[in-house]
Amino acid sequence: MFSAIYFESAVRDHPRTHAILRRYRDLPQIECERYGEIFNRKSQNFRLQKENPALILARKHGGKVLPAPGGYGFDAAGSHYFSHMLNCIYDCRYCFLQGMYRSAHCVLFVNYEDFAAAIEQTLSDPPLPKEDIHRNSCHSARSRRISSSTLPTRSCDSAQDDGVVHLPTGAGEVASGAGQVFYSGYDCDSLAFEPVSGFAEYFVPWFAARSRAILELRTKSTQIGGLLKQEPIPNCIIAMSFTTHAAAARWEHGVPAIDKRLAALRRLQEAGWPVALRFEPLLPDMKPDACGELFEQVFHRLDPRRLHSVSSGLFRMPADYFRNALKLYPDEALFARETRTRNGVVALQHPNEEAWLRQIETALFRHIDPTNYYRCADENTDSEN
Amino acid sequence: MNAMSEHRPLTASKGNGATVNLAVAHRLEAERLIQWFGLAENLPRGEFPWYGNEDGLSLVVTGSGVERAAAGVRCLHERRPGCAWLNLGIAGHGAAAVGTGLLIHRIEDRSTGKRHWPSPTGLKLPGGNLITVSEAETDYAEDAAYDMEAAGFFAAASRLVAPDLVLVYKIVSDNPEHPLAGFRRGQVPLRFGARESEIRTLVAHLRERGSRFVRWHSLPTEYRQLLGKYHFSVTRKSALAKLCRRFTALGLEQKIAVLASKRYHNAGALMAALEAELAGAVAPGGTGSKESAS
Ligand code: SF4
Repeated sequence: MFSAIYFESAVRDHPRTHAILRRYRDLPQIECERYGEIFNRKSQNFRLQKENPALILARKHGGKVLPAPGGYGFDAAGSHYFSHMLNCIYDCRYCFLQGMYRSAHCVLFVNYEDFAAAIEQTLSDPPLPKEDIHRNSCHSARSRRISSSTLPTRSCDSAQDDGVVHLPTGAGEVASGAGQVFYSGYDCDSLAFEPVSGFAEYFVPWFAARSRAILELRTKSTQIGGLLKQEPIPNCIIAMSFTTHAAAARWEHGVPAIDKRLAALRRLQEAGWPVALRFEPLLPDMKPDACGELFEQVFHRLDPRRLHSVSSGLFRMPADYFRNALKLYPDEALFARETRTRNGVVALQHPNEEAWLRQIETALFRHIDPTNYYRCADENTDSEN
Repeated sequence: MNAMSEHRPLTASKGNGATVNLAVAHRLEAERLIQWFGLAENLPRGEFPWYGNEDGLSLVVTGSGVERAAAGVRCLHERRPGCAWLNLGIAGHGAAAVGTGLLIHRIEDRSTGKRHWPSPTGLKLPGGNLITVSEAETDYAEDAAYDMEAAGFFAAASRLVAPDLVLVYKIVSDNPEHPLAGFRRGQVPLRFGARESEIRTLVAHLRERGSRFVRWHSLPTEYRQLLGKYHFSVTRKSALAKLCRRFTALGLEQKIAVLASKRYHNAGALMAALEAELAGAVAPGGTGSKESAS
């Protein structure tokens, strides 16, 4: 998985560092002062590095808990994200991380205790305003918002004057205003590195003792062994992302097969964990029929009545990240398509986008209660540049 | 982000592998390399002797010291730009046995304190840190290799190509038990000879990675043909390259060939035709052969 381990001098004696260095004793182990010396160097080539990524063990200093971007996740009393890891061991071609970071190395911040203290502090502070950022990958740009015209009727108590209906959380009653939400899989996959990082092993019990705080784990991983060993808690949601089979085969490199992901979700659901589905990103060549087949497969395995929530979202990427990704992958069909840029966000063109989305949603609503669904906000709600 | 595709030369050897440039400080360090890779000296020699073969491999003898190393890299780059760079040489070491070969992970320039980080390769080769000093090290205070060129080499080469394509490999020639004073110059080719397999592995590794890089950024042959046929401003030239890459990425090489064979009033008309073709082709359901819709 990794070609070398870098570690900051400051975490040399941290127990997590020791454990990881022991685990990877056959790899080169290289000491550095600050992870940025390696991670933030200029002119690195993300694509070349992705062939032999290294793991960097570091201490997170400031900015441990940040306000979740506008359009991310459910509208709870406060939405935040925290990143114990930067980058991902998988390689999805549509992922914004490849356009955001200069390096493909994975950074693991081992000082979980400091993150926990920062979350504790946030819980005692008044809610923060959301930033207005659009990013797209399977773990990004989420919204609890959907245009009222795109959904069948629903009773909604939070219609706003922006023409957007803010949905209450369906199965996850705990999420609607009961507490503040903390998203962990914003700059990484929450569970993919679990056997090494022990991230969920540390944070799930921590959140179990704070029932008013909600933890969302965003993942495409099947590394659920640690969760299954714990008692399920209602305030930890495991949100799994899916695209169609053809899209997964083509764009999601190193990601567990859809069937394996579903088997993992089913085990979690049967064990009593709140699970959520994220059908993202929807790419223009994903035909409604193919989406319908995916939904059949998904809801054959999962009990739709026990889902926390279901969402979908189009491919979106900030324009500067898209430019970077295109420079790295000039031979990649995904980035060679017709695009449009609005408000600094790039989207792939679909000649009949709204009708196409409705067809997909119609297929989805054969299986789920639409009140438990939301479509992520898109750039149409913003002014055009 | 990396801007190599726009600003840096992407060259391939005749055999379509990537061009790899080697840099050594002394002629004795070049001896075995010249022999193994069939390198011939290029004349006139100029300030830095340099060698090459038909397979895209070049070598420069830079002389000693950080500045000479950097200047030698720049000089070879002007003569024969490389996709990837490798610095080879002998070094002192605080702990490693004489003869050990080390792929360097971290370079510290003792005089400036600046550090460089060659990217890990995934190759199973022994590795270590290196300190570049301005005078031959005789104290061997740290568990690291000591040389006089690598920091200059790395700084210069990683300005020419992505640092992920720049490596440093050192062979230990002296250590506290076998100090420099007892080292005979004639041993250099022998030390290199004992590490032939590792050196060949590194050259092959850089050639492979460099070749992939060249392929990712390559343009279809029609691009050059079109540049010869019409007049393009600098901006249009770059736009044409982008359009050509999109055709290739979408598996539409045939279509670009057809369009390139037609006659247009001027470059603008050609570009409009290319854009129109792309717009029709990339609509869902209308994509090229690479697109198997979900
Ligand atoms: S799993 Fe998510 S975070 Fe990881 S590469 Fe894919 S989209 Fe990015």
